[in-house]
Amino acid sequence: MTRKREKLIPAKFIPDVGSTVETIEGHDYLIANDTMYTFYRRSRGEFSAFFLALRDEKKLLGCRCTACGLVRVPPFLTHCPECNFAPTELIEVEQVGVMNSTPPITYFATALFQDMAPYGRGRVIFRGADTAMSVNLYTTTGILVPGLINKGTEVKLVFRDKRNGDVKDVFCVPTSELTQEQVSKKGLLESEIDWESPVEPKIPKATNKDATTFEKAFKGIKSIIEEMNSNERARKDIAGWKRSVLVKTRGGQFALMIDDGDIRVEKKRVRSPDFVMVSENPKTLLDGLAYKGAITDSVINKKLWISKNMEFNTIFKLDRMARSVARSRKVGAA
Amino acid sequence: MAKRVGIVGAAVTPFRSSWKEKTYYELAQMATREAVKDAQIAIQDVDAAFYGIYNDIFERTAIPEHAIHGLCGMQNKFGIRITTGGATGAYTMSAAHAYLAAGRYKTALVLGVEKATDCFDFSSMSATPEVIKSIGWSGDSFFEQAIGWSASDSYAEVVLGYKDEHPNDLKPEITAAISAQLSQQVKGNKYAQRQFDQVTAEEVLNSRLVAYPFRELEICVYSEGAAALILAEEETAEAISRNSGQPVVWITGLGESNEHSFAGKNQKNMSRIMSDYYASHRAYEMAGIKDPTQSIDLIELHDAFVHQLEISMAEFDLVPLGGADALIEEGLMTPGGKYLVNPCGGLIYCGHAVGASNVMSAWSARNELIKRKLKTALVHGTGSTVAQYTACLIFEHE
Repeated sequence: MTRKREKLIPAKFIPDVGSTVETIEGHDYLIANDTMYTFYRRSRGEFSAFFLALRDEKKLLGCRCTACGLVRVPPFLTHCPECNFAPTELIEVEQVGVMNSTPPITYFATALFQDMAPYGRGRVIFRGADTAMSVNLYTTTGILVPGLINKGTEVKLVFRDKRNGDVKDVFCVPTSELTQEQVSKKGLLESEIDWESPVEPKIPKATNKDATTFEKAFKGIKSIIEEMNSNERARKDIAGWKRSVLVKTRGGQFALMIDDGDIRVEKKRVRSPDFVMVSENPKTLLDGLAYKGAITDSVINKKLWISKNMEFNTIFKLDRMARSVARSRKVGAA
Repeated sequence: MAKRVGIVGAAVTPFRSSWKEKTYYELAQMATREAVKDAQIAIQDVDAAFYGIYNDIFERTAIPEHAIHGLCGMQNKFGIRITTGGATGAYTMSAAHAYLAAGRYKTALVLGVEKATDCFDFSSMSATPEVIKSIGWSGDSFFEQAIGWSASDSYAEVVLGYKDEHPNDLKPEITAAISAQLSQQVKGNKYAQRQFDQVTAEEVLNSRLVAYPFRELEICVYSEGAAALILAEEETAEAISRNSGQPVVWITGLGESNEHSFAGKNQKNMSRIMSDYYASHRAYEMAGIKDPTQSIDLIELHDAFVHQLEISMAEFDLVPLGGADALIEEGLMTPGGKYLVNPCGGLIYCGHAVGASNVMSAWSARNELIKRKLKTALVHGTGSTVAQYTACLIFEHE
């Protein structure tokens, strides 16, 4: 089977040649799209054996100092600086380990990792090693949330089905989410694990009371959205951004339309929304827009479901707009 | 014998989220012009320049200092750039001090400048993801960059490592209260990016998670700006001071430390910021400080994250490890408390123009020591992955 050709820089990251003029206090300033880029054919040098073992043999290697016996994983060096540079030797270590410390979870990622967020990255001390290796951490149960993986949590090294000979070839999941057979298996592949796929939550049938609650919340949402639309700072938060969002709640549905600085809300069906938001209680979204608790946190806490993780980006923008309006209110009140 | 070295001039440009009106050439010259004006000397009287510029990608050029050397009036003189991540500014002051103390030069310009937010992510149509991506190139390139290393997640590792050992410290209501207090303190700093962005602790707690456990209002903001100091050896400093009428603030202690990048046995202890511990204690020793809790009045601390501010205060031995919440709970840093911490608003509210940030902190410490008639300040810079680098300076005002 031939692999789809990939580019080192995905096309979506490459802007067009162009420029704009921004006027500040009566003066024009030229702002040009620009870039610095450098390509490499970069040797993995002394790390080659480690990366080749991951890619070709599904093995995890470390290096042991021939003097003090310290085992470093990954095998960072060929000679031990603590033993007057005594040589080290490559050894294989086990594929189960424990977290060296509680790992952070990134929600707002850099431009390179927005399609991966939210993600955990932490350090694992594999059995047979003395030092910790940095790895990505996932749960088989959906979005990684604080508390699932902590210091001392036992984790299993999992290999990607397609491996390129780099650190992304592997990641870890808690052993508690795997069968004993999977934990024991050397070279466990991601395709051998049952991943819980995101399923749109079902909303119970609405009662009359739900419909009333929805109408009240919708009125509040509409009012805040109108305020956002007339707020210069909030409009700037969605400059250049275009999204149509279908919002489903217990009492009713509506569309949230974002279009390069404009935002509006309408009780209408969207044929092909960019993504769907589901929240049983419409007040969850209302509170977020009103700057009473972040919408981001509602997604993390599973009070609000989004159909695409990538759309955390839109959620951040809505949170930012809520803050912009709150800031403007304060300045106005001062 | 090493010569005494003091600060005789200081200036900052406004720190802003974006300076579309100026390039880093002009920002650098702005700060230089104001610093020599503050010292009441001519740029021709300055012997050497020390540039603190963190990241080539921000300035969109390698050796970014080459262009500003002549533009700042330093042609044909000594010029060197220091880059040590977030600690760039503090390390730049340390380097300048060493040359002056050794007698190589009588006066020096310390110039920090950064223009971060020209970086722009066209897929999200906003600057921040590209700014933090540019910083992301600072992580280990074989094992960590490709799996999402970032400044936030690497500092979060340290904070969570500390919390593993001290689960009852760094309580959310305390980190929120510190952020709210800093937002009040910034009101007096007319150069700050967020001078008028006062927030309540409740708003901090309600702000969104960026990287667990950090919330948006607990994190420094990226800025563009410059800051400059004029340093001089003792005799020259006193002569400049007599002329300007401004007292010399002496740099009496310095300490630096860089930890291991990677964690585990004999490497980085994730529950500590040992670089903060070693750097501060080396600076105390040089300054002859036996008990910092009795000697330090003012701290200008590199608060990349509020949680790290608390841990750094503990590593400085100003509060106990595991008991850093005393900063608020016992009123140690609340108004009128034992320590004046980040009167400029810190990097969270004044802003983080990386190479310029610690120089801005030094500008603030020097001004506050004189204005409030205090004696001793600690100035701090932290940077690189997992809070690996630290440089600390002790300032004294006689």
